[in-house]
Amino acid sequence: MSTVVSPAPLRGVLSGLETIGRAALLAVSIVRILPRPRMYLRSFINQAYLMGIRSLPLVLLMAFLGGAVTSQQTGAQFTGALPLWVIGSVVAASVITELGPVLTAIVLVGRIGASIAAEIASMKVTEQIDALYAMGRDPVVYLVVPRVLAGVVVLPPLVVLADAMGVFSGWGIGLLVVDGLTSADFVYGMRFYFRPWALIFSVLKAGAFGFAITFLACFIGLEGRGGAEGVGRTTTAAVVATTIAIMVLDVALVPVLKMY
Amino acid sequence: MIEFRDLHKSLGGEAILRGIDLVVQEGETLVLLGPSGAGKSVLLKHAIGLLRPDRGDVLVDGVSIARASAAELKRVRRRVGYVFQNAALFDSLTIAENLRLAQDDDRELRDVEECRAEAKVLLERVNLDPSVLDMYPPQLSGGMRKRVGVARAIASHPRYLLWDEPTTGLDPVNAETIDALIKELAAELGVTSIVVTHDLESAFQVGDRIALLYEGRIHICAPPEEVFTSTDPVVQRFVRRGRVSVPAAV
Repeated sequence: MSTVVSPAPLRGVLSGLETIGRAALLAVSIVRILPRPRMYLRSFINQAYLMGIRSLPLVLLMAFLGGAVTSQQTGAQFTGALPLWVIGSVVAASVITELGPVLTAIVLVGRIGASIAAEIASMKVTEQIDALYAMGRDPVVYLVVPRVLAGVVVLPPLVVLADAMGVFSGWGIGLLVVDGLTSADFVYGMRFYFRPWALIFSVLKAGAFGFAITFLACFIGLEGRGGAEGVGRTTTAAVVATTIAIMVLDVALVPVLKMY
Repeated sequence: MIEFRDLHKSLGGEAILRGIDLVVQEGETLVLLGPSGAGKSVLLKHAIGLLRPDRGDVLVDGVSIARASAAELKRVRRRVGYVFQNAALFDSLTIAENLRLAQDDDRELRDVEECRAEAKVLLERVNLDPSVLDMYPPQLSGGMRKRVGVARAIASHPRYLLWDEPTTGLDPVNAETIDALIKELAAELGVTSIVVTHDLESAFQVGDRIALLYEGRIHICAPPEEVFTSTDPVVQRFVRRGRVSVPAAV
């Protein structure tokens, strides 16, 4: 008796491998173009402005709220059980290593990742990408490299500012709502915890998140097909994929924090 | 010369092209007719490698598009202008910047003012006022966008032009302007064109030969008069609608 194997799972595996292959080829193309900044510099500056300056208010707001929640929660849970200076340690640790990078990345997924995927997918379905090819232009130079590079370059300073905002808001809100907490306590706790490596880790994480958001959004956008509905599906897919990628990277990068 | 050799292409499991053999001679204007969905635009896209054939090949100046490296393909594409059905202009760029993309390439940036002066001439050739240079595509009407698409296609002084429904959606005056431009480019500069159209009047005006794409194959490829007087029922059915107005043009 012969065993009949349905080809459907095999097709799924092959299609998955093909997608990974195309993503790898896109990554190789980016690396090959990077040494020629003249080809993408102007567009890169424009993208960096859009991603950095325009996202800053929302990033700072999110960081402010993140820091405020952390100090209040810590105060509420630890008051009477642990010394109050612990609040400073917890706020600094959680904001610098976790909340700063992750909240900033989530803001950029919504503001930048979705917009990149929608823009590129809509260019794909309206033949604008074909038009670039037809003119002998490389869409990777025009669309992908400036966005990915801007993501990698802009995320770290945004995260440093978010870290600062989160720590200061945690400090300020802590003084207002936690009975008995003084600035001296908070600063003592913060200094007790703080190691420079935590800040470097935060910046490295930001760079990795910046790459993941922009690369995946560009790749998924380029894979877009169909009409307006297809653009919608592509945008949703990009938001879901980049959010998952950020959380996976967040987990995967924890061992790096323990290196020093 | 553009040569399609036994070209096969399926999309979404459906065989669109089932063995296209067609040669477009140097300086010739070949009009491609066929029912909607017959694969005319698909055929055109194969000529510059925007689609890869399942079987067969396209040769442009002897270069195999199916086997060309990225660099070879880029060189071929710089010799070909492509007028897209819906213009395919870049919404985030001004008209001047859209034209600029075709005026220079990645490595060689030309002087901005020189490009702008040339862009004005290009716009005048397609009956557009140069004042649109600083406007964005969404600010223009469909017909104006289409003509900017034509201007962009001819901006790189191509040897070959692929026109995907260049007169669809244009008023009669501007459709005539585009027809005249196709003829002028062929007569003055020896540009070789493939024109995909449903506009029979335009087809008979500009075409040296007319090819009818039917059921994935070239059903007939002959001079306009021969196509128009053909007794073949498929050809008859297709040109019947245009018969009243076309004889004057032939």
